[in-house]
Amino acid sequence: MNTDDILNVSKILLEYLPNTLKLFALTLVFSIPLGVIVAGLKRCRFKPVSWLTNLYILIMRGTPLMLQIVAVYYAIPMIVKGAKDSAAASGTELSGFMQSLDSFMRSDNYMIIMLVIAFAFNYAAYFAEIFRGGIESIPVGQYEAASMLGLTRRQTFFRIIMPQVIKRVIPATSNEVIVLVKDTSLATVIAYAEIMLKAKQMMNTYSSIIPLFIAGAFYFVMNAIVTVAFAMLEKHYNYYH
Amino acid sequence: MAILEVEHLSKKFGANKVLQDISFTVSKGQVVSIIGPSGSGKSTLLRCINQLETADGGSIRVCGMDMLQMIGGKAVYSKKKTLREIRLKIGLVFQNFNLFPHMSVMQNIIEAPVRVLKKSKTEAVSDAGELLKKMGLSGKELSYPCELSGGQQQRVSIARALALKPEILFFDEPTSALDPELTGEILKVIKELAEEKMTMVIVTHEMEFAREVSNHVIFMDGGHIIEEGDPEKLFGDTQNDRTKRFLSRYKNNF
Repeated sequence: MNTDDILNVSKILLEYLPNTLKLFALTLVFSIPLGVIVAGLKRCRFKPVSWLTNLYILIMRGTPLMLQIVAVYYAIPMIVKGAKDSAAASGTELSGFMQSLDSFMRSDNYMIIMLVIAFAFNYAAYFAEIFRGGIESIPVGQYEAASMLGLTRRQTFFRIIMPQVIKRVIPATSNEVIVLVKDTSLATVIAYAEIMLKAKQMMNTYSSIIPLFIAGAFYFVMNAIVTVAFAMLEKHYNYYH
Repeated sequence: MAILEVEHLSKKFGANKVLQDISFTVSKGQVVSIIGPSGSGKSTLLRCINQLETADGGSIRVCGMDMLQMIGGKAVYSKKKTLREIRLKIGLVFQNFNLFPHMSVMQNIIEAPVRVLKKSKTEAVSDAGELLKKMGLSGKELSYPCELSGGQQQRVSIARALALKPEILFFDEPTSALDPELTGEILKVIKELAEEKMTMVIVTHEMEFAREVSNHVIFMDGGHIIEEGDPEKLFGDTQNDRTKRFLSRYKNNF
């Protein structure tokens, strides 16, 4: 590969960068609030809820994200195919619900929606454990002081506990976000047009490993930005310890 | 007028009877010290009165409101609304201060007046300024707890408790987490509050202080009140063997 080729590959990868960023951003937007909810459910005093949450976390963390992506992506097509087969066998029409599922899975946004669902539910499990650890690390005296001052449970959580938890979970969260940048490449498994997929295609086109390195440089730069952003966030919370 | 009435209070942790048949009264303007060896149940008693622990039996009345009473042989707590009302009449100063580390001194003090009593922020800030002045902490409004000495932090926590204008203020070993040279400033503040006729209950290991500041002393051991009465009498001329033993152990240590 000559310099022109390298420039050309970089340009093409840059065109697919928005798809990588889209998956990254949407995953974060959904998985963080979901993680907060899951952390809350795990701490629920009604035991069946906390057990089910544990099971969910066990499955999400215990099986490969790649497998989860494939399963989520092909679930609806499989269901629709089953419905179509049985409709054909009995000579009846496909139900309205199955018809709408059928058109949904053929729509332009189907792939990104399924990807975000798979990623968000997977990452929420990790975030939930980070947040739970953060919540449980707050000394019980903080709750007691809040209760002596007459603050409600809601006020105690949002005014006293949550701000302290945020500071404590920043390092662990930044770890997870860095992994997410790289994990977006798993979307190649269902041929989502992001950087890694294109890099692999161009590896074949040019019979060279260099496109992969260029893709690597993209991820590296993204993570450099993430690292700096989290360092700034950490600094922002440095006014107390 | 009785601010606090405790009768036959009992509390178990498993098989361990931490409080047994505790009865005492605190009237308005009184300063009561509770002394006794570690594990005698002093702190648990305070925590039961402050609703941080649930008692197993007995009754507690605060400012004439029932908090806990015996109904048909069972200890029954009042409705949430009453408990909340009672809680606002009571202030508690913790051994470890328990200030909110992410809030400035000013925010720590005005949080409850603004959020709970729904005072205006201007009013809460001006009240807090007065309290800080009284605590000798003017100029520390914007500091964070981690920037203050232990003694200063404890004075902030006293100001925070006073900001709700409680009828009675409890202290749970307020100087135990402090270096000996810092205890003086806290004891001075408590003395000043006593002069203003603030009703207070103080769990403490500072015997000299208890003798000087309080007008009633309770000696606890093994979950029981062993002896109570006038500080001069209890410290100077107790007839009780256990009290004598406890006090002499203290004298020998210092």
